[in-house]
Amino acid sequence: MHIEIDEISKSFGTTAALHPVSLSIPSGALVALLGPSGSGKTTLLRILGGLEFPTSGRVLFDGQDATGLSVQERRAGFVFQSYALFRHMTVFDNIAYGLNARPRASRPTKAEIARRVTKLLELIQLPDIGARYPSQLSGGQRQRVALARALAIEPRMLLLDEPFGALDAKVRKELRQGLRDIHDTTGLTTVFVTHDQEEAMELADLVVVMSMGRIEQIGKPQDVRAKPKTAFVREFISL
Amino acid sequence: MGRPLIHRSPMPGLGLSMGITLTMLSLVVLLPIGALLLKGANYGLAGIWETVNRERVWAALFLSFRLSLFAALFNLVFGVLLAWVLVRYRFTGRRILDAAVDLPFALPTAVAGISLTALYAPNGFFGQMAAEIGWKIAYTQWGIFIALVFVGLPFVTRTVQPVVEEIEREVEEASATLGASRLHTIRHVILPMLTPAALTGFALALARAVGEYGSVIFIAGNIPLVTEIAPLLIIIQLEEFNYDAAAAIGIAMLLISFAMLLVINLIQVWSRRRIGYV
Amino acid sequence: MSDITVTKGAPARFRSATEEAPLARWAMIAAAVLGLGILVFAPLIAVFVEALARGVAASLASLATRDAQEAIKLTLTIAAISVPFNAIFGVAAAWFITKFDFRGKAFLITLIDLPFSVSPVVAGLCIVLMFGANSLIGGWLVANGFPIVFAMPGIILATMFVTFPFVARELIPVMIEQGRAEEEAALTLGASGWRVFWTVTLPNIRWALLYGVLLCNARAMGEFGAVAVVSGKIRGQTATMPTTIEMLYQEYLSVAAFSLAAVLALLALVTLLLKTALEIRHADQLAATHRH
Repeated sequence: MHIEIDEISKSFGTTAALHPVSLSIPSGALVALLGPSGSGKTTLLRILGGLEFPTSGRVLFDGQDATGLSVQERRAGFVFQSYALFRHMTVFDNIAYGLNARPRASRPTKAEIARRVTKLLELIQLPDIGARYPSQLSGGQRQRVALARALAIEPRMLLLDEPFGALDAKVRKELRQGLRDIHDTTGLTTVFVTHDQEEAMELADLVVVMSMGRIEQIGKPQDVRAKPKTAFVREFISL
Repeated sequence: MGRPLIHRSPMPGLGLSMGITLTMLSLVVLLPIGALLLKGANYGLAGIWETVNRERVWAALFLSFRLSLFAALFNLVFGVLLAWVLVRYRFTGRRILDAAVDLPFALPTAVAGISLTALYAPNGFFGQMAAEIGWKIAYTQWGIFIALVFVGLPFVTRTVQPVVEEIEREVEEASATLGASRLHTIRHVILPMLTPAALTGFALALARAVGEYGSVIFIAGNIPLVTEIAPLLIIIQLEEFNYDAAAAIGIAMLLISFAMLLVINLIQVWSRRRIGYV
Repeated sequence: MSDITVTKGAPARFRSATEEAPLARWAMIAAAVLGLGILVFAPLIAVFVEALARGVAASLASLATRDAQEAIKLTLTIAAISVPFNAIFGVAAAWFITKFDFRGKAFLITLIDLPFSVSPVVAGLCIVLMFGANSLIGGWLVANGFPIVFAMPGIILATMFVTFPFVARELIPVMIEQGRAEEEAALTLGASGWRVFWTVTLPNIRWALLYGVLLCNARAMGEFGAVAVVSGKIRGQTATMPTTIEMLYQEYLSVAAFSLAAVLALLALVTLLLKTALEIRHADQLAATHRH
């Protein structure tokens, strides 16, 4: 799905988290929102997911105005930084949650839900953990379950907030490849937020460098690296 | 096995603190309870059964337990609602409301008892209103119910409140991004997280209500078989110097208390094992 | 960044994912206000309305009677004795439980909490059975001129029983959270045991201690069921404020009963006020469950 961000701004009280920003994300792209904390990247992601409402501007999904769509209507697969797994549910129930939450008319049958969950567990390469609770999983496993849970609703796009932030360096590298693979198999337009320039450069097709609520540069990783547009970008990617 | 009874520690004051703790615990709590159990042992199981197995005693025990259960159920629902409102919403007077939740803890039960009676008696403020529709509250089981709701009010709210405070917003947001309506999120995500705490509060409110005396006797009317609660029976037996019968009913009530204490602990173990937190 | 506030200028239909519909919100707030109004505020107001039914003078006159004065004096005396005892117990128990590791700790905590789940009437009964004139110990004590039941020591014991866990319960979670590091540091610096307690531990737990003492005191002054059983309710001798309220009420001396009740209600209000002040001012030094 093609995502168009049109002059979106957001302020909390009197402080501006986002100055009007515009960004076009082609269908099927894997995009990194890169910037230090406070740069507005998470706010932008939350606006895409419908968790935050922009102060001004529009969001277009495939050319349709989606600004007023509620979170539920957006069908954005969202992976939270803390994963936000439901601690009182098994991994299976976590992944099945979005399907079970559908109104009866469009809810798949139990057998169909089980089939899909099993398939997703295979996709994240953890076929045997369906009966476990989140507290019994490692950090990397939790992240993958959160990803599977987001994928279960057959999302129109995938939004990830610092997906590797809480993991140690080794697991981080493995999961990066995992995300790339899942993106390539599903073909979903994917946006992830990161403050790690190496991660953004290695993983993304398109890097959006942000600072202080503004977009500093949009470009392919090698272009951003070769030709930083502003002093901020030059400094940030040389870290 | 190899674990020592008390681990060696550089901390000072082991003997003193242990001495005070165990001495006072024994003197104030354990020995008196032991005296009750000893009395029961001397009286014998058959004797206890004979005392308890009388219509008036059964009626009183059943009444105390049944109305306590209803009152605790009411407090379960209202307490969760109250906890939610106090933590999640901001409105004028919230602090006063929050402080008022503890009033039943702070207000002496005898004071609550006569005050509730004054309100719900046929000539009282609420009693008159109820009488209009032919509803008698004071001196009926309704009166007992209201008194028990009053004394049990803070328990559920106070156990659930900190849990509501700790719910991560991201978990609720995750549910919404997965397409769940707010109502679905509340039912399937929020309420299950509150359940262990709510059940603990429920059990505490129930235990409190079963043993409650001061706030109930004024409003109850104390008619044998109808509005006579179990603790009152103990007092009546004592006033007749019938110590054996008093002890028998006391032991029956103590067993109910212990059973409930056990249930509370089981709930906590269960929730810790299942969810990894209480 | 992820601060969740309702966005100004957002269209009416946008609602944060963590909020209920405005109508539901208002309905719930209304239910809370109405419920607490009927269940808690109404009885509180009723106490004062009934006390002042015949005017302030009549109310004050009833408090000036000898019975009322004696009851107030006795209640104050009992609180003045039982509360410090329980405070000392609470500190000792919390120290023992949080500074040492031993087997059966959970069981000990359960035993300390026991009085909360025992009916006050049963508590009173236990003390009568233990120390009553018919019992072994009680008989001997009475013979030696030191009766416990139907006398002050019995009332104090009953009061201590029902208020037993208050202070310990407040202190244990706070002291667990604070850990042992500060005390250990003081010990390595050569401080003696008492010095560690007075200069390191006590300053850290003083607000939690005050909190526990406050609740303990409110309950001690207001205890009715247990005291009714052990006191014998002898006027001018063993009748406390709550038991005097009962007697006055049953003699249809409504103004007198409610006037005395109003004094206790004021005490309850002051307790709540101080408690709330502590929760606002010293939240970081109270048990986590009291923080708002």
